[in-house]
Amino acid sequence: MHVHGDSTLPRLTSRSAFEQFAATATDKWNAIWSPVNTVVTVGVGSSSIAKGAERVLEAAAQYALPKTNVTVRTTGVDGADWMEVQVGVRRSGAPIVFYANVQPEEIADVIEGRLESKAIGVDGDQPYGDIPPLKDHPFFKHQHRIVMKDIGIIDPESIEEAIARGAYSAYFKVLFEMSAEDAIAEMTAANLRGRGGAGFPAGIKWESGRKARNSPKYIVCNSHEGEPNVYKDRRIHEGDPHRILEGLLIACVVVGAERAYNYIGGEYPLAIRRFRKAVADATRLGLVGKNVLGSGKNVAFRVRTGGGAYICGEGSALMYSVMGVRGQPRTKPPRSVEEGLWKRPTVANNTETVANVREIVLNGGAWFASIGTEKSAGTKMMTVQGPLKTMGLVEVPMGVTLRTLIEEIWGGMRDGHIFKGVQTGGVSAGPLKDEHLDLPVDFDSLTDVGGMLGSGGFVVFDDSVSSIDFARYLTAFNRYESCSKCVPCQRGNPALVEIIDRIRLGRGTKADLALLRRTSKHIIELSLCGLGQVAPMPLLGMMDQYPDEWESAVSNNTGTTLWLSERKTSAAASVDTTTAAD
Amino acid sequence: LGVSQVAETSQAGEAEIDLEVVREMLSHFTYSDFQEAQELILSALQEINEHFGWVSLEAAKVVADHFGTTDNRVYGLLTFYADFRTEPRGKHFMLLCHGMSCYVMGSQNLVDELEQRYGITDGGTTADGELTVQVVNGCLGVCDKAPIVKLDADYHHDLTVETFNDVLQRAIASGGGWRHH
Repeated sequence: MHVHGDSTLPRLTSRSAFEQFAATATDKWNAIWSPVNTVVTVGVGSSSIAKGAERVLEAAAQYALPKTNVTVRTTGVDGADWMEVQVGVRRSGAPIVFYANVQPEEIADVIEGRLESKAIGVDGDQPYGDIPPLKDHPFFKHQHRIVMKDIGIIDPESIEEAIARGAYSAYFKVLFEMSAEDAIAEMTAANLRGRGGAGFPAGIKWESGRKARNSPKYIVCNSHEGEPNVYKDRRIHEGDPHRILEGLLIACVVVGAERAYNYIGGEYPLAIRRFRKAVADATRLGLVGKNVLGSGKNVAFRVRTGGGAYICGEGSALMYSVMGVRGQPRTKPPRSVEEGLWKRPTVANNTETVANVREIVLNGGAWFASIGTEKSAGTKMMTVQGPLKTMGLVEVPMGVTLRTLIEEIWGGMRDGHIFKGVQTGGVSAGPLKDEHLDLPVDFDSLTDVGGMLGSGGFVVFDDSVSSIDFARYLTAFNRYESCSKCVPCQRGNPALVEIIDRIRLGRGTKADLALLRRTSKHIIELSLCGLGQVAPMPLLGMMDQYPDEWESAVSNNTGTTLWLSERKTSAAASVDTTTAAD
Repeated sequence: LGVSQVAETSQAGEAEIDLEVVREMLSHFTYSDFQEAQELILSALQEINEHFGWVSLEAAKVVADHFGTTDNRVYGLLTFYADFRTEPRGKHFMLLCHGMSCYVMGSQNLVDELEQRYGITDGGTTADGELTVQVVNGCLGVCDKAPIVKLDADYHHDLTVETFNDVLQRAIASGGGWRHH
């Protein structure tokens, strides 16, 4: 994929040239919102395209064509997936009104204000007529947006709009006004912990990178995101790619690295295209390259894409993948920060972590640390999935409870579905039940009861889903995604699936439950990398939280068939998950 | 399309890849040193896989030549990374999301239906060459409309087994295919 930057962009070679450019960009941004214009904004991202966003955008452009005072803009999607296709209309003298589920044929009515039944809210604090402020809606009320601040506001393909909204101002600060030591001190004070799931403090990682003796050094951004229920990093790429790029460029300058990489999962073509465009534009502008803005600092940037292997989200596997070989983890030490990419010191950060850097550099570490909880500072992007009402992606302060997430932000269970549990930590931890829902969601609170924050993805399941079948699905995922390098994981996971299948088909015995635990123990203790070491956790969690289902499946030799037929007669809506297949 | 039809070879997929086109694509992948060459192999394979729907052994050899590495090495990548195919796609190409959100909303039923009714599992092509399916282990990111599939260029959501079959039958009856988009 070869993406060219905007050829009209100038090349900036000095401090003042950048300040001048930023001032002009701000003027242009304000001109868009000039009171005489009607401004129509369509959220176009991978999720809204699936619902026809491109056709809505085209209809809006057609509508605006003969008119001189209507501007049509594209933004990323702001997380409210339940509102898609979302259109914002700013008419002369009115605040922006947000409309939900807009169809292409409705666009004229929406723009001219004849379809107010689809209006969900308005921008700002005050209601407009009968329409309440959008920020009072339960989906938005609890949110605190740092990473997602400009998503849904700026055009992700316009570096000018990004700069008008403050992009690269933190990079500028690090280049000219702040020492590397001070920048790292702010990062450490912020206590920004790795958003990929491990929760390692980014400031300490940067410090070790800076102190590493070998050179050249590299920065690698982990945007692989292979979890089967997470799409947060993809949305940042699609909605505000410059925020990621800026964080990585700052890391380069501060750590003293020669080059930064962003490794993006190959399955996300739109994310890759928009990010490549961002890099091409920033390079044209002179923000990437040699002697950036006359500061004497050199930074290089490369985008690399993955090929659909979950294991490549593991640090060392990711680096092997960047180097063009099979992504199979290695034993540690040496850690990546000592010996990573091309055997050189490499600082690896998750996308969401990197996207927090701009605001920390601008507002200081203490400000960031004051958000969230004591040990888990800041905000977290979270997704909850399953049969819920207002689906999407939010950014909330750490420490919010699962109950708030599920019952308020996500609007509770859809009609006809009864809450049974919530799977946490992707495929790396167990489920939680109703009694756990008042626990705060942060890095540490869920682990005691067998859950995990992970990368912030939670999946609610209703009572049509058998814990045995779900455990089989999750274990089969890890079986498929094992890289086959070490035996405990390569052979152990298929063994677990076999035993679960035996139980599901009604041929299991009590001894099989013990065998599952014993095999799990082997996999956890003997596997080489993080994938294997947590692969049996969802299974063990399911066995711990729903012991009755497992006991009854093995003692009556009924497997999951009887369990399901009982449920089917009682539940209004049920899903058949009885047959064994991948 | 269906279990009853058994054909020996796939008709719809192209059995060969035009290596001249591959060479043209590779000409954009320029590198200045060994490291950069290594880093570009996966990207190049992705572009070829996306364009042709698969990467043949012959194409893999051309890639190996371009980057100065061995055929084995390149083929090793093709068989490790799940996105690559080493056999041609059928006429229609479907991504079936089997992420956790789709799973709890019933995507397992669709996977089962494919196996029982159409005789294909992940990566398989129906005997008549009409349909290739790739079961996505990750997430297509449209979780509010689960279960979801992407068939050729179009998304279909909130699927049940009945609507899933409708979607497939309509797509097949309408001709077209993934190349036509």
